[in-house]
Amino acid sequence: MNEYAVLSIHGAAILFGLVLLTPFGSSVASILHGRYPSTTTKRGQLLAGMVFVCFGGFTVSAHTLWMHNKLSEGASVCSGSSILNCDGLIGNVAYNTDPLFGQPWGLVGMVAFTALMWLVITIAKEPMSPQTQLFIKGGLGATIAGIPVIMLLVSYEFKEGLICPFCTTAHIANLIALVGFFLLFKLYESDEWAPDMKKSSRK
Amino acid sequence: MHENRLGKIGENMNAMLHDQDASARSDAGIIVMSMFFAGILIVAFTTSPIASGTEIGERAPIFTAKATNGNGWDSFAFEDLLDMSWTWNSTEESPWIAVEFLDIDCGFCKRSATEVGEWAQMYSAEQWPGPDVVFVGIAVGFLGDHTRAELVEFRTQYNNNFLYVDDLDVSIAKEWDVGATPTYFLVQPDGIVAWNSQATNGLGWDAKEEKSVPLNGFDDGYVQLNEAIEQLTMMNGGE
Repeated sequence: MNEYAVLSIHGAAILFGLVLLTPFGSSVASILHGRYPSTTTKRGQLLAGMVFVCFGGFTVSAHTLWMHNKLSEGASVCSGSSILNCDGLIGNVAYNTDPLFGQPWGLVGMVAFTALMWLVITIAKEPMSPQTQLFIKGGLGATIAGIPVIMLLVSYEFKEGLICPFCTTAHIANLIALVGFFLLFKLYESDEWAPDMKKSSRK
Repeated sequence: MHENRLGKIGENMNAMLHDQDASARSDAGIIVMSMFFAGILIVAFTTSPIASGTEIGERAPIFTAKATNGNGWDSFAFEDLLDMSWTWNSTEESPWIAVEFLDIDCGFCKRSATEVGEWAQMYSAEQWPGPDVVFVGIAVGFLGDHTRAELVEFRTQYNNNFLYVDDLDVSIAKEWDVGATPTYFLVQPDGIVAWNSQATNGLGWDAKEEKSVPLNGFDDGYVQLNEAIEQLTMMNGGE
């Protein structure tokens, strides 16, 4: 299968999640109402969107780890004559592992999105928990911490004059997750988090 | 103030471990860990990654540098010598690569330079029954500040009619983990290190079996570059 066809599958999950985070999400979320009644609420809709974004980020990261391994075998997985070229970046030993632990960036992405997904699912399962605010702040902090990492990876792209579409998709997923956690934070601070309860009674 | 804050963190931790919400966290943990390990297993079962390095069986680090074949200094990419589709039974005539790290002030390098020049001609000649071997000399500056002109002079003096790469800043040597000269490597056409003269002199890489094999050093037990070339390139039929 063409690599961009596979990329579009990851992208579709992230895009669907993004739409759920936007004001247009309420009409899109209606397709989930039957199976997941929690998505009828604003909170449920945001959390569902975050699950899709984190899942898309996770799968695209796993795909880049797969590419990393394939390239080490000597295969070519995503190289074109154009500027869009993963092989030149994921296959470049100078840039393809994190400088701290020496692990492939794909694995770093998998771990990061797994952690974010854990926060999102935990919040979704127990939204009234006293730790919910802590978890939202944790997610916000983690995604903000991802920005310098993204900047480092983009600097590699500038140096090589190449763009890795798979890596870029993972970066975008992190940025959308950041916005998502911010929206969750704003919602938590409002009465809309649990419309049946007063905010003061939640704390 | 600090005690209060620490106390609150302690209370939080205690609550996270023991309250009823703990089941939500562990449920979520089970879900995401299942997802993570499923991802890892798929990657593990569909790939067999090769580490990058200069031990035998590893993929040799690629580099780009200025190099000379006697007529000026041009850009050279090690990657251009590689044929990633090569396999041990490949019928393509892809050349193997002999890499020599040398310092023009090193006595051992001077002593072996003429011989290496002869080998470079011998293993690419018609009479040689095995696959061609391309020689690449990487000139480092371990023992002093040399100039490119001195490298060219050395190359000419010892009749080394192969490519000399400028590594006077020792960046390639560092990447290849070379600490002394001369150090020789024999690299398969697909970029896998088949022999490393310093790290594991008596062992070579069998591309067919994908494991190390002992080599013979015919004179004194120490395996020379020519001995490694003759044993390894001819190991699986000489293709």
